[in-house]
Order: sequence, then structure tokens, then C-alpha cells
Amino acid sequence: MNILEMRSISKSYYTNQVLFDVNFTVQQGEIHALLGENGAGKTTLMNILAGVVPLDLGRIWFDGDRITSPTITSMEKLGITFVHQELNLINDLRVYENIFLNREVTNRIGTLKKEFMIEESSKLFDMLGVEIDPTALVGHLTAAEKQLLEICKALYFNSKLFILDEPTTALSNDEIDHLFSILINLKTEGKSFIFISHKIPEVFQIADTYTVLRNGYVTANGRIADTNPSEITRFMVGETLSSNKVYTPRDLGSTALELNNLSGIGFNNVSFTAKKGEIIALTGLTGCGASELLQCVFGVAPIYGGSIKVNNKHIRGRKISRRMRSGIAMLPSNRQENSVIPDLTILENEYLAEHVLSNNIQHIFKDREIKKYERLKEVLNIKAEKPDDLITSLSGGNQQKVFIARWLNTNADILLFDNPTQGVDVGAKAEIYKLILSFAEAGKTIIINTLEIPEIKEVADRCIVFYEGQQIADFQHDAIDEHTIMQYSTNAINTSGRG
Amino acid sequence: MEENKKKPTEQGSITRFIARSWREYSFVLVFIVILIIYSIVVTSRGYSFSWDYVATVLSSTTGAVVGIIALGMSLVIITGQIDLSVGSMLVIVGSFSVIIYNMTGSIVLTIVAAILGGAICGAINGALVGLGKMPPFIVTLSTMLIFRSIAEYFVTIINIQYTGSSYKYQLNDTYGNYLLLREIGSGKLSLGGITIPYVTIIFVVFVAIMVYISTSTKYGKKVYAVGSNERAAKLTGINVDLVKMSVFIICGMLTGVASLIQVWKNISITPASSGMSYEMYAIAAVVLGGVSMAGGRGKVVGIFFGALSYSTVDKIISASGLDIYIQGTFQGIVLILVVLVQTLSPVISEKLRTRRQIALNERLTISESPSDTKDPEN
Repeated sequence: MNILEMRSISKSYYTNQVLFDVNFTVQQGEIHALLGENGAGKTTLMNILAGVVPLDLGRIWFDGDRITSPTITSMEKLGITFVHQELNLINDLRVYENIFLNREVTNRIGTLKKEFMIEESSKLFDMLGVEIDPTALVGHLTAAEKQLLEICKALYFNSKLFILDEPTTALSNDEIDHLFSILINLKTEGKSFIFISHKIPEVFQIADTYTVLRNGYVTANGRIADTNPSEITRFMVGETLSSNKVYTPRDLGSTALELNNLSGIGFNNVSFTAKKGEIIALTGLTGCGASELLQCVFGVAPIYGGSIKVNNKHIRGRKISRRMRSGIAMLPSNRQENSVIPDLTILENEYLAEHVLSNNIQHIFKDREIKKYERLKEVLNIKAEKPDDLITSLSGGNQQKVFIARWLNTNADILLFDNPTQGVDVGAKAEIYKLILSFAEAGKTIIINTLEIPEIKEVADRCIVFYEGQQIADFQHDAIDEHTIMQYSTNAINTSGRG
Repeated sequence: MEENKKKPTEQGSITRFIARSWREYSFVLVFIVILIIYSIVVTSRGYSFSWDYVATVLSSTTGAVVGIIALGMSLVIITGQIDLSVGSMLVIVGSFSVIIYNMTGSIVLTIVAAILGGAICGAINGALVGLGKMPPFIVTLSTMLIFRSIAEYFVTIINIQYTGSSYKYQLNDTYGNYLLLREIGSGKLSLGGITIPYVTIIFVVFVAIMVYISTSTKYGKKVYAVGSNERAAKLTGINVDLVKMSVFIICGMLTGVASLIQVWKNISITPASSGMSYEMYAIAAVVLGGVSMAGGRGKVVGIFFGALSYSTVDKIISASGLDIYIQGTFQGIVLILVVLVQTLSPVISEKLRTRRQIALNERLTISESPSDTKDPEN
């Protein structure tokens, strides 16, 4: 029996459509893996189901009933629980207080029945084989315990369907095994799970069925038993975009950037050199360390060990403005949080970084700024009406081009792009990659961190794969192959025996 | 997916212009409405409304002194912070300037001392916020207590020859340039029939300077960037801590200027009562001037109108013959009304949009049933 059916779900954010006519069905008593690369639409689909974002078109049935306008509270009441990656627990309260938060048991005059709640909590933990002290402060629990607590909390209030968003990222192998044994127990009791994970081996260990999303479309679904890791990987990355080849080999210049045994938050002992005119792609799953590496090179995060050399000169200090003066620029990931300054205009957003460098003259000569902007606007093909319109009036792709303009305006030689095509529609993606190639032609050094493997093949001279903070593979352009890279970045290469 | 990008028609651009002007310059409208109410109240009491009434608004303490403080406060608020110490800072810096004047008799030295003193007080706030990473609310709450208490303590300690009084700091009227100070504080410039208080001219000059800084300098744009999205500002290389500290220093310097006007207007400054609640008046003027308390948004020129709106409300109360104690009630109500309009209009338009979307969705998907037998395969 279907516990959940989502039919023909579509969703757009402004002009950017992220889900196209998606059908998604979960049977009662199964663990259903929802797979896809970052930006494939998994989170949006689940946010719709949990009532976090409204859907544009489509229908949802849960437990046989049609659900018209899901809200967070109504979906919770129906028995759908979203266990987020960032856990929704309150660290300053005790375990039992978290379980009964907003549903406290009281006697007639409103006093809390603490002992009753503590007893209920320990009964629940005993039943599930979880060893947590109900009176402990949540802030003192380990990540794994918090994850389990979140699940226990939902169970106590009789949830029927659990959405587990990458529940294993913070857990050790033993803890994962423990979590899985609990999930299997609950499954036999008729609970259903949607399991979101990037770790393919894990999916094959625990899930019964799967659905793969790519760019907002369902590309495959079925039973795990009928497939294998390499097939799943292929559905995730899709076929090669062989239609419009843009890659051309270039003559490389002298060494521009050199990393020697660089260590920092989230990565260890990374060494490579990048030459003038070279495009290097870094890839791996979220949290693999590639993004953290770029932030460290740009001065956002500290250097723990090793060294960075730009044009053969050691980088000192930890100020972003100093890195910018030595010719480094970084387009950060997560545009909304890290790039968009929502109250400023397009022009102001564009010139801000350059003004950090030209701080000595404080007056803004607006005509000159507009001229520079218009030139970049033409080069980058930014579709914007007036430079004085707010940045938020632009679509995601055009915003991103404004931020590329922001950094080109600083005349940086080394451009670090962290996930540059995130939340950007397909047309703008292709354009951005063409631009990146043209910057390399002009002699700039480019390092891109991206999860879009087909696109790496289009632009990169080299691709370095990261897994859990380590460089684990290095491919030249001709050897870049989506399938192999995906296997390295999910570490499926070491566990693909079952497939 | 709907395509709702229409070509901007002539009519569309006019409505957009009006909508935009309303959004960005609503503080002018608020001021005009309040001024009209003022003129109605004055006429209804049997007087004829003339420029003199406007001039009293312009030269009132809330108009000029609080207005200049509010200019500094606006930068602090645009970066998403707050400064509660300005009222006390006015007292300590004003007291200091009186002592310097009484000791030296030099106007230039007095001005330098006031501005420098304000800068130092601001730097203390800024350093604790920027380097000490303390919340601005707590830092300036503490310095609010400290600054006033120091002024109160020293009035009893310092020789009466310098303070001029045993409970307040009073300007020494034996110096030759004493009358000049008084003239600047209370005098008016006559220009073809209308008179403009000198303090208003000073206020307007500082409005012009601050408008220039906030709209046409790189520093000004950084202030907005920090308040709008601190993380993004940091990632463009802006030294966020430095910007956050600097706005406190500027706020302190402007408070120093305001303290001079306060002293020169009233001849003296009383630690126990002068500048009381000015931080709240300044915040109110900033809010009436259309600056968002969340930071990143607002125009400094709005402060001019905000401060005048606020002091006009004062005048309305006194002109209408109501009890002076009811003044705060009206000021509070005006503040609530103005901000309520600002906060509720986006909420209401969002509600309407959601309702439309739900209705559309309902219409499209009516009378469908689940397909329980459907296989998960395609």
C-alpha cells in the first residue's frame, strides 16, 4: 500500500524551475532512497512534502487522504517527520524536555509532570535499544546521539513517515550500523522512511527502493535489488553533454598558484600547482574539503599547516583584502548567503570588491563605474535593465554573472569558483562555463569546485577528486569520465562489489 | 510555469515610479502630513500659521541636537547595530567642552575638544563591539551608565571656577567671545523675510556631509553592505569589524557636535537631567526617517525629515493646549503608526499572493483521486 504519493509536482523559485512534473511514491514499511546530485531538487521535493515551501502544481496523497495545502504543523500532525541535517534540537534543554517540547505533560493546574516524562523517555529508549540519559543536557550529547534522539522523538508521537536527510554524515561506522539496525526494526513495524544520502554503498546496504532525480526530473526509480551502483551513478550524472563541445586545449604559462601540503579546516595535506591559463576542477561530495580548501586559499579560513605561493611568493597574513591584493578572487558557493547584498543595486554589488582595493580615493565617480560595469555586462552578457535596479530583481544566473563581474573588476589573476553554477538554470550554466574558458584563454588561472561532473569534462584541464578531506585521485582532461569520478567521490570504487 | 514578464509600458513605468518614490521617500510624506496637522491645530487656536512656527521646529532641541545625533545613529543602525549611550555621551562631552572653554576661553579648542571627546567615547564603544565581540546593546547600555555617572561625579569634584556651578557645567560669561557662542546657539539668520536659526544651518550642513558620505563614498557603500549581508560583505574583502567600529566613532563625533549646540543654546549642561532619553529620541528620528532597524536599508536624508517630524509632534501638542505630559503618548502613537505601515504592507501583499496561488492550484487539480495500485516503475 502507498503511504505517500506525490504526483506531477512542479516548483519554481522566481524564474528558476527546480522540479518538473515529479512523481514520487513510497510504500508502507519500506526504506526508499532519494538520490541525486546537489541541486537535483531532492531538498525542494522534501521541503514541499514537509510543508516548508508551497508547491506550484501537483497533488499529494498521504495515507489515503488528499493533502491540499501542506503546512509544517499539518504535516507533522499527519505523521510526517523531517529529520534535518542540521538537527532541530535545543541544546540548552534536557533530553526529555526536547522530546516533550511544546507537548509537555502537565497536571490539572499546569505543573509539569517531570517524573512521568522522564520515565516515558527511558521506556522509549529501552524499547529502541538507545542508551541516552533522559535528563542529560542535549548540548552534551554526541552527534550520533542527537540524530537518534531526533528519530526517537518523532517515534514517540507516532510518526508514520520519516524523512532522513543525510543522517549518517556525522556518524562513525559503528554508529551507522546501530542506526541501521534500529531503522530495520522500525521498518518491520510498518514505519516508512525516505532516506537521502550521497553515499552509494550505504544506500545499497539499507534501502529497498529508490528514486533518482537529476536537474528536477525523475530519471529512474525501482527496486534496489534490481540495480547496481554503477547504474545508479549513471542515472545521477546523466549522459555526456556532447552536443556543444566548448573545450579547447591551451598553452599554459608559468606557475601561478602553488599549494604545498596545505592543511586547514576540513582538508589535509593538499598539494598541487596551477599554471597561468589552466583550469583545474576540484570535485567530491559536500563536505569533502574542496570548498574549504578554496576558502582557506582566499583567507576566509585559517591555514593549519603547509604553504600557499602565488607567483612564487609566499602568502602571509590572514586578511581577505591582502589575498585580493596578491591577485586572488573567489566566487563563493551559496550565492544567496555569501554573495548577494540584497539592499544594494546591481552596480553597487558589482563595484564593491574593487573598492576595497582602491580605498585611497573615497569618492565614487559614478560615470566611470557605470562605464566599467557596462563593459563587463557586455562581455558576460548580463541581462539587466538598469544598473540602479536592485540585485534581487535579477534571476539567479544573471546575479551570478554580476558576481563574476565583481571579481573580474578587481583584475585578479587567480579566480577561485566555488560551485559557480549552483541554483543557475541550464542555459546560464553553459554560458558561465564558456566564460570560464575565455578567462583561461586570457591567461587567468582558474580553480573550480563543482559537483557537476559532466561540466567538468567540458572545461577542465585537470580534475582533482576529494574524499573526506583527502586528494584521492587526479585526472588529466582526456581521462575525465563522469562515471569513474563519481565512483571515486562516493568512494564506491572501494565498495562496488555488490553491483 | 507562467511567464509574467510584461514589457514595461508607459503607464507601468509611471506607477512604478510612484510606487518607488513612496517606498523610498515616504518620510517626506510623513513630515508633510504632520506639518499640515500642525498648521491646522495652530489655525484652529486662532493664530495664523507662519514661517516662524516652522523656525521654532527647526531650532528646537529635538530638531537640531537630536537630529545631529540621529545622523550618527543612522549609520550605526544601517550596520545593524545600536548605540544607547548617545544621551549620556552628550552630557559627558558637553561637560568636558564647558570645562575646556572655561579654562581657555578658546572656541576653536572647545570645538576640537568636543569632537575629539566624542570620537574617544565612540571608539570605546566601537572597540568593545568590534574587538571584544560584545553585543552593541550591552556595550552601549553599560557606557550609557558610565558616561553620565562620570559627568555627575566630577561636577562635585572639579573646582567651581571651571564648572561654573555646583551641580551643572556652566559657560563662563566673562570671556569676550561668550556672546558669539550664545548667538550661534540661539541666534537666527534673516534672509528676505524669513529667519533661519544658526543651529538649523549647522544641522543642514551635517545632513549634507552625511548624505554625501553615505551615497557617494566607498566607505558609505561598505556601511550599507555590512548591514545588508555581513557575510557577503566580508567575502568581498571588506574589513567588517573596522566598519562596525568606525560607525561608532562617527556617531560619537556627531554627538560631540550636538553637545556643543546643546551647551551653547542653554548656556549650561546638567549631568543629572540633560540629554535624558536622547538615545530613544534619536532612534525614533532614525525610524521615522525610514531607516530599517534590521540594517542595510534607508536613506540618511530621511533623518532630516525624521527629526523634524518628531519635533513637530512636540509642537503640535504644546500648540493644541493639551497637557505636556500627554506628549509622549502622541509621539509613541505616531511612531507605531509609521512603522506599522512599513512592516505590514509586505505581509499583506504576501498573504494576498499566497491566497491567489492556492486558489489557482485548487482550480487546476479539483476532483482527482489517488492511484493506489500504481507501480513505482515508470
